[in-house]
Amino acid sequence: MTSHATISIEPVGVRWQSMLPPLAVLALAGLGLLSSDYVVTVLGFAFIYAIFCTGLNFFMGYTGQASFGQSAFAAIGGYGSAILCADYGWEPLLALLFTMAISGVAAVFVGYPTLRLRGHYLAMATFALGLIVYEISIEWTSLTQGYMGYSGVPPLGIAGFDLVTVKQQLVALAVVALFGVFVAARLRQSRFGRALASIAGSEPAARALGVDIARYKLIAFVIGALYASAAGSLFAHFVGFISPEVFGVTMVVQSFAMLYLGGIGTMWGPTIGAVIVSVLPEALRGLKEMQDIAYTAILIFILIFAPRGLAGLSALFKRDRAQTREGA
Amino acid sequence: MPNAVEFLQSVVNGIGVGLIYGLVGIGFCVIYNASGIVNFAQGVFVMLGGMVCQVLLAQLGIPLVLAVALTIPLVAISGMIMELAIVRPMMHRGATLFAIILATLAAQIMIERIVLLTLGDRPRTFSEFTPGGPLKIGDVAIGYQLFWILGCGAFLVLLLWLFFTRTRTGRALRACSQNREAAQLLGIPVSHMMLVAFALSAALGAVAGILVTPTQYTAYNVGTPFGVNGFIAAIIGGFGRAGGALAGGLLLGVLQALAIVALGAGFKNVAALSVLLVVLLLFPNGLFAGFGSKAKAH
Repeated sequence: MTSHATISIEPVGVRWQSMLPPLAVLALAGLGLLSSDYVVTVLGFAFIYAIFCTGLNFFMGYTGQASFGQSAFAAIGGYGSAILCADYGWEPLLALLFTMAISGVAAVFVGYPTLRLRGHYLAMATFALGLIVYEISIEWTSLTQGYMGYSGVPPLGIAGFDLVTVKQQLVALAVVALFGVFVAARLRQSRFGRALASIAGSEPAARALGVDIARYKLIAFVIGALYASAAGSLFAHFVGFISPEVFGVTMVVQSFAMLYLGGIGTMWGPTIGAVIVSVLPEALRGLKEMQDIAYTAILIFILIFAPRGLAGLSALFKRDRAQTREGA
Repeated sequence: MPNAVEFLQSVVNGIGVGLIYGLVGIGFCVIYNASGIVNFAQGVFVMLGGMVCQVLLAQLGIPLVLAVALTIPLVAISGMIMELAIVRPMMHRGATLFAIILATLAAQIMIERIVLLTLGDRPRTFSEFTPGGPLKIGDVAIGYQLFWILGCGAFLVLLLWLFFTRTRTGRALRACSQNREAAQLLGIPVSHMMLVAFALSAALGAVAGILVTPTQYTAYNVGTPFGVNGFIAAIIGGFGRAGGALAGGLLLGVLQALAIVALGAGFKNVAALSVLLVVLLLFPNGLFAGFGSKAKAH
């Protein structure tokens, strides 16, 4: 195997091991139900970030590109849902889907010219997109109420049946997160997912195989934007309040810390990373003030010493298994 | 419609800020040329320059000249630490480009948070280098600090030019930027040059921060706008060319000042970032490279 280190297409088929991560997520949600509302809130954030990172993973892990501005789409989703539900009385689910559509269309318009760029230029252009949306969310006060933030967002619900308690919402978030990973997993093993992996491996080779690189990159970018938008909407409903700070540069770095810790380019890495990075600072209570410093320190440490994250460990395990299978 | 005085005034202000962007942009180019890396934490040096100098001046009561003489090496050391602790180990391990960019971005946030925790979030400033002013020419007011910015900026550019053309180290740096393998074969210690580049680039940022602080304010979070605008300046000038970055910075500063008059202060960063996207998409080799030229293979 000399291909891109983080990309490996696993054989299709359900083994009992593949059922472990979803069961772990459900167990975690179950644990949350038995705990205090505080623990529930922390786990809720973890699942929201898991959705965001799963989308980011599409573009960065599977396709080998970079987006430093994914927070822009989370901001569209968050503010869209907040405004539509609080001011216009929309159904939360309808608002979520509607803002996802807006984000998707925005991603097409923005991505079409931007994704021609490579390397530093792509990184800076996407970073600029995130900053532009952040600045607009501060300055366009008549729409977003600026630094004051937007409060009074109703909780999630369908057709008058609202999820009033945080515990009910946690279950909903866990289900949505699992659904997100399920969709990602199915897409990854499809013809489309293999095309993305070929782009990550080598663009000239992918082109030679007849992969329409620009189109596939754009689709992967749009999928990432849809996930980010959904995560932003869910955040608005879960907390009931959003402000520009939520969707700032910190969000970008935090999500990258999760993605790299869990293992970029893997199916469950984003979720695992999201849970660990969300829970860890809560476990180390004294770190409250130092939270951002801890995130960045973890991120830099992983980037230097273990760029494949925790999933790198499981790959070691897998190689052993593959060898024994060959031997048999 | 802004009248002629307003127009001239904003051009004057824009030149001052633009020169600062130019210095930051040169900082980007110095590191990029030596290592092939874009240091996303460039703006943090501007913030550190202003903050450290303010602390030395106001809290320790050190005279200005001495404070400046202390601030620049201190910030340069922070740049060297960044190179030694983050960039060098990553390059040795063959990290991907995006991973290195991300690490520098993380370093920026880490430094910002450390400053926030130690010095607080209060905006700080210190008085202009020479009291009095502003100088009035007709109805256009020119603060004395602008002359300091222009003078020091021009002096720095001259020093940089001498450094890159006349000194052994400077020429070795240029050799690295042309071809790193060949430079290494010629016996130039390339990794040592990267350290020099980070120190030099951090020092440039520090000077920019010290010069600009009296005209506005400094706080833990001013780094990102300066970094992004410096990057835009470097892009406009065609990435890697120091002279281009300076010209790009001046152009951007003036454009931004005009945008403030036309659109209001809040949207100046949005205007600058939009300029960035337009330049990136339409003129990927910079405005001065001629139209229709092909994108550099990055």
